[in-house]
Amino acid sequence: MNKPVLEMKNISKRFGSVVALNKVDLAVYPGEIRGLIGENGSGKSTISSIAAGMQKANEGEISFKGNRWEPASMIDALNKGIGMVVQESGTIGGISVAENMFLAELGSFKNKFGLVDKNKLERKADEALKSVGITGISGRDAMGRLDFQDRKLVEIAKVIMKNPDILIIDETSTALSHDGRQIMYSLIRKMRDDGKSVIFISHDLDEIMEVCDTLTVLRDGNIIRTFEKEEFDADAIRSSMIGRELKGDYYRADTECTSLDEVVLSAQSLNYKDNLKDVSLELHRGEIVGVGGLASSGMHDLGEALFGALKLDSGHVICGSGKEILSPHNAMGQKIGYVSKDRDQKSLCLDASIKDNIAIAGMNIFKNKMNLVTSFGEKKYVKKQVDELKIKCSDMDQAVSQLSGGNKQKVVFGKWIGCGSEILILDCPTRGVDIGVKQAMYQLMVKLKNEGKAILMISEELPELIGMSDRILIMKDGEITREFKRSSTLSEGDIISYMI
Amino acid sequence: MTDKRKTNIKQKLISLLPIAALLVLFAAFLAVVSINGYRLDMYLKIVFNEALVLVVVATGAIFIYTLGTFDISLGASTLFAATMGVMTYNNTQSLILMIVAIFAVGITASLLNSILASVFHIPPFVTTVAMMSVLSALSAQIITSYGGALGGISIPSEVVKPFDNIGFKAVLLIAFFAICFFVFQFTKAGRRMKFVGGNPICAELTGIKASKYTILAFVMAGIGIGLGAFLTLCYTPSVTTTTASSIGMNIFIAIVFGGMPISGGARSKIYAALIGGFSYILLNDILEIGIDSSAAYGITQVISAVFFLAVVYVTSMNYRTALLPR
Repeated sequence: MNKPVLEMKNISKRFGSVVALNKVDLAVYPGEIRGLIGENGSGKSTISSIAAGMQKANEGEISFKGNRWEPASMIDALNKGIGMVVQESGTIGGISVAENMFLAELGSFKNKFGLVDKNKLERKADEALKSVGITGISGRDAMGRLDFQDRKLVEIAKVIMKNPDILIIDETSTALSHDGRQIMYSLIRKMRDDGKSVIFISHDLDEIMEVCDTLTVLRDGNIIRTFEKEEFDADAIRSSMIGRELKGDYYRADTECTSLDEVVLSAQSLNYKDNLKDVSLELHRGEIVGVGGLASSGMHDLGEALFGALKLDSGHVICGSGKEILSPHNAMGQKIGYVSKDRDQKSLCLDASIKDNIAIAGMNIFKNKMNLVTSFGEKKYVKKQVDELKIKCSDMDQAVSQLSGGNKQKVVFGKWIGCGSEILILDCPTRGVDIGVKQAMYQLMVKLKNEGKAILMISEELPELIGMSDRILIMKDGEITREFKRSSTLSEGDIISYMI
Repeated sequence: MTDKRKTNIKQKLISLLPIAALLVLFAAFLAVVSINGYRLDMYLKIVFNEALVLVVVATGAIFIYTLGTFDISLGASTLFAATMGVMTYNNTQSLILMIVAIFAVGITASLLNSILASVFHIPPFVTTVAMMSVLSALSAQIITSYGGALGGISIPSEVVKPFDNIGFKAVLLIAFFAICFFVFQFTKAGRRMKFVGGNPICAELTGIKASKYTILAFVMAGIGIGLGAFLTLCYTPSVTTTTASSIGMNIFIAIVFGGMPISGGARSKIYAALIGGFSYILLNDILEIGIDSSAAYGITQVISAVFFLAVVYVTSMNYRTALLPR
């Protein structure tokens, strides 16, 4: 076998009291696509971010292409051959795509007057985007105007254009549509064909088994096992990941379409730019309605529209009481909760504590008789959510920014469930969360459904939609193209042609 | 001792640093006054009077800073409120009307910032820049028009003399601080302001109307401005174009001294104004007493700046923990 291009020996990393990595060894070989999989907090992102120069290990040695590897920063690492696309947004909103892509080297674009030659910069960015197959994004575009998927694609292009020897992709596919994923997969395969290496992190077991040559499972900061392609077995990998068998059902056990007759939310002929075209739907008490489609189908806008967060061109969102939803404030008053796909930007205040984030929506519940927000009432209220949702934290005063993706999502759920939301609009609720947390969330959704709550789940994952929804609405180009009822025979093949 | 316990202790110690700094500065102040043989009671009174207006206006302004924005017009607003107070008294001879005018002008000037920001959908600090120019110009026009050769306008000192005593001022300060503390800590409005400061997009998607809380924050700041203007007149019953001129920037430095994060949000602390205001004045007075040269002012400013950077660096260590990337 070849010598490893990257060799990490005895790597340990601690964050305060948390041991993120415990004497871990990892070797990546040229021409290899190495998958990293594990529950949230298992150490996947930590070990890859150490390799990519984002942070330093407390202990251990790293060699890259036979030499000691001590990059000063991510930019330094990228320039020397290891690039990483991070899980959350790694771009800056207030500047152009081109400026984002060449942020560290703007000096090389100076004209004879010493000023940055914007035309040259944007031309180079366009070339780089085109070379990786990204169309529809220009170097001139303002980064802040791009959606989450497009920002991710720009990040990928930014790394790829430096021609790294090792590309690390951290839980990026859930942010991408079908087309975006195809671009990413083709880039990964090209790197392998060129004798380069890829470290691919994903929670999607099917995807990672399809894409990767080898698969390393991490759990609680330890490497549990590395599987070769011929050893890939979904059950064995799952067991290695969580160290136990998944008990209970993963998706819903029933195959019946069940709900009460009462309509709790209806959309009437919603129109919003080109993203929503005459969209109408009804959501019933005790029903889970899935909305699927490509990222650009308008389904994410639909979620915001139903919550009153978009200024519609026309149409009405009416809740069960007959009141029209015109703003998020309005929606909250009608006991509607909204979990955004863009968790860090739209659903959480990262600097604030778990307590602050959960309590903010429930103050009307735990305020005292004098209408005051007391620490006693607040702690009791938050503790209930932390306990029921099993949020892993040192205490409720811990900053949300320090939590794993899955636990962050639980905080968002706690915020909306705690305040007694009767209708939940969940946009990609399991994005970036591991299999164990996913199962817990699915079970929670079933529990909420059985309690008579109504859920509208927007998702880019067809198995999730099929597994959880009473009805599935498929969107394409801003329109609902088809409705499917829950059935044991419904398959991805039945649905996909209405999406693309 | 576990790592977690060590981290908690470290964070607790860092959060106590502003109070520790205040105590150290107070001890240093006592030492400097004593070494120079000055009268301590007199100097303590000076510190209190100097800090009072700063602390009062800063306490109100904390609400604005909590939203993640700032108000550069605080000094100009205080000057304008005091100016209008003097003009009102001189025209009506009524103390009550003077007080009403001061508070009305203070609140209106502050409120105007937030309303303009809401109407034009621009960050509030942008409107405060414009407001600073307008209010300074208006005050200067009134003062020079009516002050004539004296270079200032004034009210008879007997009018405010009953209020110019430490006891009354201390009660006023405590009462105002208690009200602000209550609003900040125990009301839904206070909590929501912190959330808006932490992430305005998330706040909006949690049903919080940012514009409503921006207006409320500026109202609280306006009350602080009014009170500050009244206390300014109690201490010196005359107004010149330079009255309260440096208060805007001093507030910014003071609240950072007190442990307030520059970005506002969830980690905002109402007591930062109280601790920081006194710390800032003590530091200035220590340097002014201790440095006996013509360059004293410049040296004081340089040392204050270094102190400011050191405080920002140390206090930010509390939340600038290693990020766990997952």
